[in-house]
Amino acid sequence: MADDKDVLRDVWFGRIPTCFTLNPDEVTEREAEPYYLLLPRVSYLPLVTDKVKKHFLKVMRTEDVEEMWFEHEGTPLKWHYPIGVLFDFHASNTVLPWSITVHFKNFPDVDLLHCPTNSMVEAHFMSSIKEADALKHKSQVVNDMQKKDHKQLWMGLQNDKFDQFWAMNRKLMEYPTEEGGFRYIPFRIYQTTNDRPFIQRLFRPVSTEGNPHTLFDLLKEMCPDALTKDGEEKRFQVVIHGIEPLLETPLQWLSEHLSHPDNFLHICIIPAPTD
Amino acid sequence: MSCGVVDEEEFCRCCRLLLQHSNGVGDGWSWEAVRGSDEGYLKKTLLRSVPAERSVPQKHKEPGSDSEKFDYCHLQTEEQEKQGVDASSDSLRPDAEEEDDGVCGAPAGSSSVLQFEYHILYSCSYRTPVLYFRASTLEGRSLTLEDVWRTVHPNYRLGLQSRPLDAITQQEHPFLGQAFFYLHPCRTEEFMKPLLQMARDQNRQVNYVLSWLSVVGPMVGLEVSLECLKQQQLHPTTPQQLRVPLRGSIQQPKTL
Repeated sequence: MADDKDVLRDVWFGRIPTCFTLNPDEVTEREAEPYYLLLPRVSYLPLVTDKVKKHFLKVMRTEDVEEMWFEHEGTPLKWHYPIGVLFDFHASNTVLPWSITVHFKNFPDVDLLHCPTNSMVEAHFMSSIKEADALKHKSQVVNDMQKKDHKQLWMGLQNDKFDQFWAMNRKLMEYPTEEGGFRYIPFRIYQTTNDRPFIQRLFRPVSTEGNPHTLFDLLKEMCPDALTKDGEEKRFQVVIHGIEPLLETPLQWLSEHLSHPDNFLHICIIPAPTD
Repeated sequence: MSCGVVDEEEFCRCCRLLLQHSNGVGDGWSWEAVRGSDEGYLKKTLLRSVPAERSVPQKHKEPGSDSEKFDYCHLQTEEQEKQGVDASSDSLRPDAEEEDDGVCGAPAGSSSVLQFEYHILYSCSYRTPVLYFRASTLEGRSLTLEDVWRTVHPNYRLGLQSRPLDAITQQEHPFLGQAFFYLHPCRTEEFMKPLLQMARDQNRQVNYVLSWLSVVGPMVGLEVSLECLKQQQLHPTTPQQLRVPLRGSIQQPKTL
């Protein structure tokens, strides 16, 4: 369906206006100007912040520079989450541009994974794709792919090439028609009210009676508190790629169209704005 | 379980058995429940003695580089490793911290002591256990990935490094949200399959978690105590029978 293809494009080309400022505690030789960028939602911070690094290094001495990391309002940003997930989870209801603080020292190594090179991002990304395919097809599709096919997925993401990526990714989205969907839906639910970083469990796209499971069914099973009960005021927003999909949307459709390039459906449950 | 994987229920049963035994001999394992869910993980903290020149990084190299791969001169010897194992398995004291004192009783100056924290989690995606761990000096400095590679025995190092996805990498702990190292689980099913088949052919009951741990644990310094493997109810086989074929296959990455 032409409409559904448009959804894939809209998701891929989603951008977040962002303002990077240098942490005031960094030692600089002169004042650092903020740096503005449109960040692709589906990418990862280390892949799109070369210019940010270059910009701030101009005012710093090499000996004051350690591994770069990012923070929003006191929370270190996990580079291994897609940028759109970081924004939806931490900054959905704040004013744009998204304000990110750049650090070059005191790397928080309990909270953040190190990312010395972009090959770390590649390893992470491919590992997520593999895991998603373990859930969707018992790893059969990803294992049947050749090394160059894996590279195509990665290069598509790294170079922001929608067609290159989707020419390969569509294979990961196939399923036997008679089964009505994947074996399990690869998803992660992020909640502000939970100590653990996310919920990830087994959930099938179709019920045992053969009915398609919806986003509502998933939330009811995984985090019922996130749902608004009858007569109650809405406390939480369920956000995917910056929008609130209808809860009656079939999960299989969401998995095929609103998953990130890592093939996981990332769902953020955030407090509803009070005003 | 017949095809190399284990379901979550069986995983929990295996963990309970392992815990029962561990509590009996003071092996130091505990069960950490995750708040607000029925999930949890096995945890063990261990002090390991590592030659000083290996635990304090002298130079920074890419873990995959050739120079690093063949730099064996500072590695722990087989003999030292064995001493460590015996010390921990001989001890029957229930207090893990005390028990570990035996491991780090090396002469001052020749080695330094690192604290390793091991977690065994269940991966519902791969339907296998996954080993997460982190390490720090006694002063609390976290070990980097390069530091960790330095603590891996050379026999395992080559095998681990030749397959990037199987290697030790950093990963977020799915329950704690903190940075850990882990051994990627995507090949676990493959190497567990022949092991389970062998046990089935001999009509033996196998504790999946314990057998798996005896394969992956030693790669990152976590030896499964002989007492544990001897325990009939846990694992009705002798350690020699279990370990020889497994070690053989671990050292040949192509067949893994």
